[in-house]
Amino acid sequence: MDGLPLISAITFVPLIGALAIAFIPRDRHQAIRWVALGTALISFVLSLILLVGFDPTGPGFSSLERFDWIPFFGIQYKVGVDGLSAVLVVLTTTLSWISILASFGPIRERVKEYMISFLILEVGLIGVFVALDLFLFYVFWEIVLVPMYLIIGIWGGSNRVYATIKFVLYTLVGSLLMLVAILATAYSYQVATGSWAHAFDFEYLRSFAATVGFADGLQLFAFLAFFLAFAIKVPMFPFHTWLPDAHVEAPTAGSVMLAAIMLKLGAYGFIRFALPLFPAAAHTFAEPIIVLSLIAIIYGAVVAMVQPDLKKLIAYSSVSHMGFVTLGIFVFQEQGLQGAILQMVNHGLITGALFLLVGVIYERTHDRTIAKMGGLAGRTPVYAAAFGFFMFASAGLPGLSGFVGEFLVLVGTFATNPYAAAVATSCMVLAAGYLLFLFQRVFTGELSEFLSGLGDHLSDLRPIEIATLVPLGTLIVVFGLFPGLILTLVQGTVGSVIASVSDGHAIALHLFGR
Amino acid sequence: MDSHDLATIAPLAAAVLVAAAIIVVDIIRPGARTPALVVALAGLAIVAAATLVAGSNPGDAFGGAYRVDALTTFLDLLFVAIIAFTLLFAPDYLAARGLPLPEFAAVLIFAMTGAMLISASMDLLVLFLGLELMVLPGYLLAGFAKRDALSTEGAIKYFLLGSFSSAIFLFGLAFVWGLTGSTRIEVVAANLSAIVAGTAPLSPGLAMGLAFLTTGVAFKIAAVPFHYWTPDAYQGSPTPVTGYLSVGPKIGAFALILRLFVGALGPLHQEWVGPIVVLATITMTLGNLVAISQDNVKRMLAYSSIAHTGYMLVGLAAWASSGRIEGLSGLIFYGAAYSFMNLGAFGVVAALQRRRGVSSSIDTFAGLGRTEPALAFLMTLFLLSLTGIPPTAGFFAKAYVILAAVEAGGPAGILAVIAVLNAALAAFYYLRVVVFMFMRDPKGEPVPLLKSGILKVGLAGTAILTIVLGLFPGPLLQVVEGAARAIAS
Repeated sequence: MDGLPLISAITFVPLIGALAIAFIPRDRHQAIRWVALGTALISFVLSLILLVGFDPTGPGFSSLERFDWIPFFGIQYKVGVDGLSAVLVVLTTTLSWISILASFGPIRERVKEYMISFLILEVGLIGVFVALDLFLFYVFWEIVLVPMYLIIGIWGGSNRVYATIKFVLYTLVGSLLMLVAILATAYSYQVATGSWAHAFDFEYLRSFAATVGFADGLQLFAFLAFFLAFAIKVPMFPFHTWLPDAHVEAPTAGSVMLAAIMLKLGAYGFIRFALPLFPAAAHTFAEPIIVLSLIAIIYGAVVAMVQPDLKKLIAYSSVSHMGFVTLGIFVFQEQGLQGAILQMVNHGLITGALFLLVGVIYERTHDRTIAKMGGLAGRTPVYAAAFGFFMFASAGLPGLSGFVGEFLVLVGTFATNPYAAAVATSCMVLAAGYLLFLFQRVFTGELSEFLSGLGDHLSDLRPIEIATLVPLGTLIVVFGLFPGLILTLVQGTVGSVIASVSDGHAIALHLFGR
Repeated sequence: MDSHDLATIAPLAAAVLVAAAIIVVDIIRPGARTPALVVALAGLAIVAAATLVAGSNPGDAFGGAYRVDALTTFLDLLFVAIIAFTLLFAPDYLAARGLPLPEFAAVLIFAMTGAMLISASMDLLVLFLGLELMVLPGYLLAGFAKRDALSTEGAIKYFLLGSFSSAIFLFGLAFVWGLTGSTRIEVVAANLSAIVAGTAPLSPGLAMGLAFLTTGVAFKIAAVPFHYWTPDAYQGSPTPVTGYLSVGPKIGAFALILRLFVGALGPLHQEWVGPIVVLATITMTLGNLVAISQDNVKRMLAYSSIAHTGYMLVGLAAWASSGRIEGLSGLIFYGAAYSFMNLGAFGVVAALQRRRGVSSSIDTFAGLGRTEPALAFLMTLFLLSLTGIPPTAGFFAKAYVILAAVEAGGPAGILAVIAVLNAALAAFYYLRVVVFMFMRDPKGEPVPLLKSGILKVGLAGTAILTIVLGLFPGPLLQVVEGAARAIAS
């Protein structure tokens, strides 16, 4: 490591911002907002520097920063990035400043606590993506929970307390079992090598898994525990029930971070940890997971179609879209994994933008009921155009980024499992269906009675709102036309993950005796 | 008694002298609060210094009945810290209710001498002496608000069940003494090893002795199903006393477990590991389940403290089933982390009750995030630590005992899974307080609290320890491992 510890700086600059805000008097809202935005932007710029300096051809992780944290157990503070981490870090820093900017208007109460929570949330999210020590990873993973709990519970909608407690309890059950699995994994490494040194170090564990391999029993237990934690976060069917509640009740920016970044934590966990460390167990459970992914894809889309609430509709569409991600991961095939990673980024950008747009209408009408909308296109043409753009991106229109990810996942799936691919493809029709139906109900026809009653409150997009949407829209077009930009970055990650599961074989389960 | 003996027991002697000095000060200036507090806190500093000096020169005294080793030193310092924090939290609460401070301080420090005696005793009789010396002042403290019906009721229950369990415990000691022929812990252990090495099954007398001892100790640490005194005693006691009762006697009783079960009865660990696994499981689960339905924060914390007993028993079970040192060092670390975070939580409750008539109902916490943001933040910190969310002391403590259980494998490995599921269960009621503080509006006019500097020192101290032990547990890990090695060699 030479020069500035860049990754640590990206991670902890928001924390410094949060500490700074703690010392600003609580009624100085503007100062608090600008400090929050400023620190998020600094972190964003630093992450761009990281991305520009990143060498995708180099092996393994670059820009490692480490020190011995709890040497007694070989626990280190060790952070570093490969292509996947770098991409997701930039996604996080981008959406963080956008979300903070988008909160300027809607959040008028307890601004200080809100911004502190948001910045700590950013620390946790970035930390998860850069941590290369399992213990450190777990710490960041749990840190994410607290600010999101507060953001939903304090600034959320009418049923916010129920939603936020449900969210925390679901996530905690999964993550605490993951803690047991992490400790068990480290311990079995300690037994194998005779020392705690590097027992939590991901790189050492990965090479141990590749050469010696963890025992079957441990793999099965640890994979299932990791799976539960990650599947709840993704969320995969049937662990998704916290998501619609959390999304509906969360404030706009909270929904954006939840959908765009937090759902990616689970997928990231699968790619980074679960597959390389426990390849045999991953093979054992691949088929059921593919089935669950397909159910999620179809179920999410079908349920989205009948939702009366704008946010709930998009929440369920997230379940469907994230189903493509897990499908792409568990076909263990290069295009599939590439598609999954692309889909992670795209879903972050597109769904983030859609939640911002729902927030725009909610701020003006204090309602999200689709039935009360109608004819918005004539009244707010810019808004309608923006919504249409992101909606088509979400539906997977070729030329926009949503298409490429799903397409690659389907190609990968087809190569290994044509039936699954056929089922998943049919869902793209469903997605187009519920999105077009939504657009028709909200934007076309006569202006609804409810909306016309609002009079001048119903204004078109304001400059600050456009400023939050333009970067996302630009990226969606760019990645739609040049998906290679991301694919080049993550080729190293994809290669190593595929290699780790390539010669894997399933562990024979003797559920019913031998 | 020679000079070496004196040097070895210097911390204990200093503690007794401090308690006596407080009484003398109270005679000279009756009822004066500040002098008594100053003497008590300065005295505790001297006791801590004496403990460190004595700890630098470990050894036995009184023919091997009293031992200063790494465990003694660590536990004594922990006891001093617990008493010091209790003293910092108490004055304002007591002043608001017209309760005397000097007696409170003196009784508290006498209780500390009992705990210190336990941590150093290598003889069953001294052990029992220390136990009684520790719990008797506890009964007094529980009934300290003597005009308050709840306080008196709690104290009577605590006293009756406490003496009952002491009698059972003493009965068990008699069996062990009769069958091993000695009260010296080392001799008992050696004789038991010989008995275990033989092929004969455990004699009925020994089995009964073991059962009585386990029962007696389970009462003292408030393990389910011997916990019934806890909620009433905790809810009825004045809040600073509750804070003390939830950590002081509990850590003291765990010190007794370390000396007695690990030291003396260690050779029988195959016999008692089963009951401990069962006790740990039901203690964690029932404590958490009942805590969920409580609307009084003190009572809720009482049940939560029962659950924490269960987590500590997981460490003991891990040691007993595998002989691995991590079980014991995990238990000791947990004890330290639990002390600070739980005292801190009770400190916040006491801070809210700085005005007469403020109850510890959960409604008191409604809207605290608006009216008292600093207290609300601290309470959140302590509750997150009790839940086990990083980066707090409570998280690392939990990870440590779970690691020990995972290492031990077998039934203890299952305990690890039960423990984490319980932690998720516990999140429900801890976060409920956070919901009241931040997500509800204050009820009625906010009551202005007394300005208090001394309470802030206590809260800051426990908060800093809660964070630092979570972020940088490394140094303490070395210490607790040394302490654990002192008994399980």
